Amino acid sequence: MINQAALWINDLATELGRGVLFFLNIVEVWRKKKISRELMFEQIWKVTLQSSLTTGMAGFFVGAIMTVQFTMQMKDFGAMGYLGGLATSATIREVGPLLIAFMLAGKVGAFTSAELGTMRVTEQIDAIRCLGADPIQELVLPRFVAIIISSFFLLGLGLILSIFGGILMGQFFSGVNAEEYVRHIPTIVSWPSVMSGLIKCFVFAVVLAAICTYRGYTTTGGAKGVGRAVVKTAVGTMIAIVIADWLTSFIGDLLIRAFMGN
Amino acid sequence: MIEFKGLVKKFGDRVVLKGLDFSIPEGEILFILGTSGTGKSVLLKNLVGLLKPDAGQIWIDGEEVSHFNEDQYQAIRKKCGMVFQQPALFDSLTVYENIAFGLRRHFSMSEDEIKIKVKKALQLVHLSNIETKLPAQISYGMQKRVSLARTIALEPKILLFDEPTTGLDPVTTNAINQLIFELSDTLKTTSIVVSHDMKCALDIADRIIVMDQGQIVEQGTPGNLRRSLVPLVREFLSEVVESEGLA
Repeated sequence: MINQAALWINDLATELGRGVLFFLNIVEVWRKKKISRELMFEQIWKVTLQSSLTTGMAGFFVGAIMTVQFTMQMKDFGAMGYLGGLATSATIREVGPLLIAFMLAGKVGAFTSAELGTMRVTEQIDAIRCLGADPIQELVLPRFVAIIISSFFLLGLGLILSIFGGILMGQFFSGVNAEEYVRHIPTIVSWPSVMSGLIKCFVFAVVLAAICTYRGYTTTGGAKGVGRAVVKTAVGTMIAIVIADWLTSFIGDLLIRAFMGN
Repeated sequence: MIEFKGLVKKFGDRVVLKGLDFSIPEGEILFILGTSGTGKSVLLKNLVGLLKPDAGQIWIDGEEVSHFNEDQYQAIRKKCGMVFQQPALFDSLTVYENIAFGLRRHFSMSEDEIKIKVKKALQLVHLSNIETKLPAQISYGMQKRVSLARTIALEPKILLFDEPTTGLDPVTTNAINQLIFELSDTLKTTSIVVSHDMKCALDIADRIIVMDQGQIVEQGTPGNLRRSLVPLVREFLSEVVESEGLA
């Protein structure tokens, strides 16, 4: 039992170490070599298009859910005027970035991992190296950057639709009209909330991009190996995103305490 | 001239290449035979720097290359064209773009020059009018030929074939084997062919090496090999005798 645990920890540490080295390699290539704009825009377009419908739908319903939840709590306090502000603030700070990351992990993460994994097991990545190109520069970097940039587009889309969802639910469920719903959004949604949401969105996107490209790029073992890589990507990204969420919240809280006092 | 000196390659605790020593003179067609998992493909991948040896040296044209980094290896890869076990064509690119890929990265050529090179490479593998097709739109045998065209378009001095006929029907297998011989002859290249196909090796190789468990168990000309008493070689030869008997 102890031996197995030790082995598991050893494997985990090795994988983490390899993952970090892979990430540093991407950063090094990004710093030193030119990234093909054509390939990057193609990937941004692909990722954004692939996920916009699901992200938009999820955003719409999250706004609606938030509105229902806050309505139940705020009715008793007679503070329904702040419903839109509170629901939007919670979405921007926490739920939005987390939701986008989970959506992207399920769709784009798995797709990227399978795509790179297939290229690895069919020797396309080796062929790229033999033909004088760097696969990190040609394949990994455009996908990596595209996932990060698309995350922000999708966050924006998700937020806009979450406000629509909230307005609709406010109108029909909470008895708050659209004008009243949006009036307090600028009052309650502060710059630190927006910054927190943007930082989380960036961190989750980096975590997701690093895991899915690493898993795909290091795939071995034919079709089964590709399947394994996709499963590991799905599980790994979910766990890593939740841990990253806790870490960013914890560090954010520490920073706010340090700079703004208790 | 290519030379391996005490080449060792390990994967974890498993030693795949156990100190290989041999050389390949310029212009030779060398076949490396052996059962699966004996390290034949690993040997080729070490030669082009896709894998790094754990010990030993690799000399190419008087230069020790095993310690080269990725950038330094680019010059070696320009010299050593590799045809993979699978066609390894890029799915999203047309046949033309696949062949032009290496030309664009290794050389600074105009689009007109690239067009001529692509056409010539396709002619050498007996293909034409498929430039605009995607890999998925052509047969597996044709994909193998396009893969070969992509490699020879770079005009390498050394051609490496990793099981070029695996998964092909006998007719296409013969056509590919014939191509290997023709290309080596036409382009005056040194060719290393990793294969299971003893019949083809006996037909077109200048020299044959037989490997087992990461070591060389026999080597010589096709004539020498026919007289070999090494059990593994006899096993390979028995298949040829059987097929010749059937013929």
